[in-house]
Amino acid sequence: MSASPLQGVTHACFGLSYLVAFGLELARWAAPGRGWLRPTGLAFGAAGLFAQTLYLVYHHPSPAEPYAALLLVAWVLAVFYLYGTIHHARQAWAVFVLPVILGLVGLSLALLTGGPDANSGVPAWLTTDHTWGAIHGILILLAAVGVSVAFLASVMYLVQAHRLRAKTNPLGGLKMLSLERLEAMNRRAVNLAFPLLTAGLVLGAILLRPTHDLPTNWLSVKFLGTAGLWLAFLVLLYLRYATHVPGRRLALGTIAAFALMVAVLAATHPFAEGPK
Amino acid sequence: MNLRAIGCNFRTAPVALREKLAIEGKALDEATAGLAARFEAEVVVLSTCNRVEVYLAKPAGDAPVEPAAIAEALGEWAGLSSGDILKVLYVHSDEAAVRHVCRVAASLDSLVVGEGQIAGQVKKAYDAAGRLGTAGPFLHTLMPFALKTAKKIRTDTGIAKGHVSVPSVAVDYVRQVFDHFSDKTVLVIGAGKMGRLTLTHLKDLRPKQILVTNRSSEKAEETAAACGGRAIPWVDLDAALARADIVLSTTGAPVPVVGKSRFDAAVRPFRTGGPLVVLDIAVPRDFDPALHDGDRVVVVNVDDLARVRDETLAERRRHLAPAEAIVDHAVRAFAADWARRKSGPVIRKLTAEFDRVREGVTGPLLTRFNGKLTPEEKQAVEYAFRLFQNQLLHGPIAALHESSAEAGHGTLLDALKKMFRLGE
Repeated sequence: MSASPLQGVTHACFGLSYLVAFGLELARWAAPGRGWLRPTGLAFGAAGLFAQTLYLVYHHPSPAEPYAALLLVAWVLAVFYLYGTIHHARQAWAVFVLPVILGLVGLSLALLTGGPDANSGVPAWLTTDHTWGAIHGILILLAAVGVSVAFLASVMYLVQAHRLRAKTNPLGGLKMLSLERLEAMNRRAVNLAFPLLTAGLVLGAILLRPTHDLPTNWLSVKFLGTAGLWLAFLVLLYLRYATHVPGRRLALGTIAAFALMVAVLAATHPFAEGPK
Repeated sequence: MNLRAIGCNFRTAPVALREKLAIEGKALDEATAGLAARFEAEVVVLSTCNRVEVYLAKPAGDAPVEPAAIAEALGEWAGLSSGDILKVLYVHSDEAAVRHVCRVAASLDSLVVGEGQIAGQVKKAYDAAGRLGTAGPFLHTLMPFALKTAKKIRTDTGIAKGHVSVPSVAVDYVRQVFDHFSDKTVLVIGAGKMGRLTLTHLKDLRPKQILVTNRSSEKAEETAAACGGRAIPWVDLDAALARADIVLSTTGAPVPVVGKSRFDAAVRPFRTGGPLVVLDIAVPRDFDPALHDGDRVVVVNVDDLARVRDETLAERRRHLAPAEAIVDHAVRAFAADWARRKSGPVIRKLTAEFDRVREGVTGPLLTRFNGKLTPEEKQAVEYAFRLFQNQLLHGPIAALHESSAEAGHGTLLDALKKMFRLGE
């Protein structure tokens, strides 16, 4: 049987496309007036998204696989990048989103040890064959997207606040959204991610209970990290709505939560049954 | 081309004289029509607070309009001595005049390089000339060309990038912090002249409400009435600061009105909303700069705004050379195109004359051989004569095109007309 041409689509295909798109975006801001840079960058970004979609469709990896979870989050962010770059043409959107996508793709590649089709031992109840397992995965994945968006808004907020603090020319350099808009983006993303994360976490615990009650599983990096992330979000919500802390501190807290989330996604699933 | 641009601007004439020369509305229309009739020329008059210029185009070969005559006309409508006006007038002729109108429209010749108003003013002057019928074929070609060149310069270079007025820069800072204004409160402290100008810009953002406070309640009422705001007592300043989103401070107080200790004690604990932007355009400053943290409180003072304005102007000046290069190219293109337009009728007549002569020879010839030649042979004979004609004409037509941008182009056209008896 001949091999499918889709087998040739690898991390390098979409990773390099995103890298070129990022380079063109940087060049666009460094040398304004060259109108061809934006459409060319968008074309490379779209090509990267297309290649990544083909990869995910062909290999349909389980979100419970660390490399796949990161890749799925990167895919949603890539959609977010294209949408934002088209709808906010004057903003330096891609300059912030593309490095995160590249980082996630790079980390995903580093975690891909046995090839995209190798099963590293994800339990059956966590695969898409199991309805509740799939729902658990989707909830956690959507929460991760929310955290990623909140992270991007926070980074942009800090850059914008730094520019204001330094009183740089408002119309010079990168064009960015206002502090108010970025704060609203952060707030909405956190407000959306928190219930999804809570539901995902509770569902995961319920699914785990009848079959896995070993303390080693409950004390794993993945489980404790997810619980820590949930707590971090609870603290962020408390700080925002109860104590009105400055936006800069909230942004820093959100960035810390994102780092924790990446660590959680990259950690091996505690319920893995070993490579098959 | 027989074009002249005669006028004065902020470099050559004092403001007192420019004020008297600058006219608008009906008076401007009458002056434009009067100049066109007086000099039998196409006329566009550009009259702004920084320049008064007359563009006059006459048929090639006619005596151009002299600056003294324009000084006399300007003196008549402004009630001034023509001698005084003549001293401040400059004159640009032909290609230099084309260059000048392009530079003016692109605001390369403006007091504030890159300002956006002048292109609109040039267009308005041209529209008026079109309406009055004083713009003819030449100015109908030149003025749209100059406006198009100006647009290209604004688009392709950074000559118009950024804002250079203090109120505009202040609003740019506000826009970096806030996205929408329908739920925002603007607090105005004091009532300085610059404050009123900035307030006009802030009012354009359509905030939810404008509060005005002043040590003098009458002045507060007066300012509030002028901007559609509400006056509040001076003693309520701290409470107003606690709920304000944007503060415009412009008092004449000799010492800061709001120090850090006062703000931390009486304002900060009561603020529950978003950030506060303080536009402190008072000299000396009204707000302690130590309040500025770029997050919760953003304090922008007049020095910050002036620095940004200077940076923007310096940045615009960096784009002067590329903008001038576009003008150079445009002037050359215009001159060549205009000369080509002028050659067009002569070339058409020349070709028609040769066609007539060729047909006069080939017609009888083919009639003589009627019945002896096949249709293909007839076609070959016609083709040979046509080829001969084209090769004969190639030299003169190419010479006309080549000389289109040169000074001797008119002489060559005249020579061709005479040699081939083409008439006018």
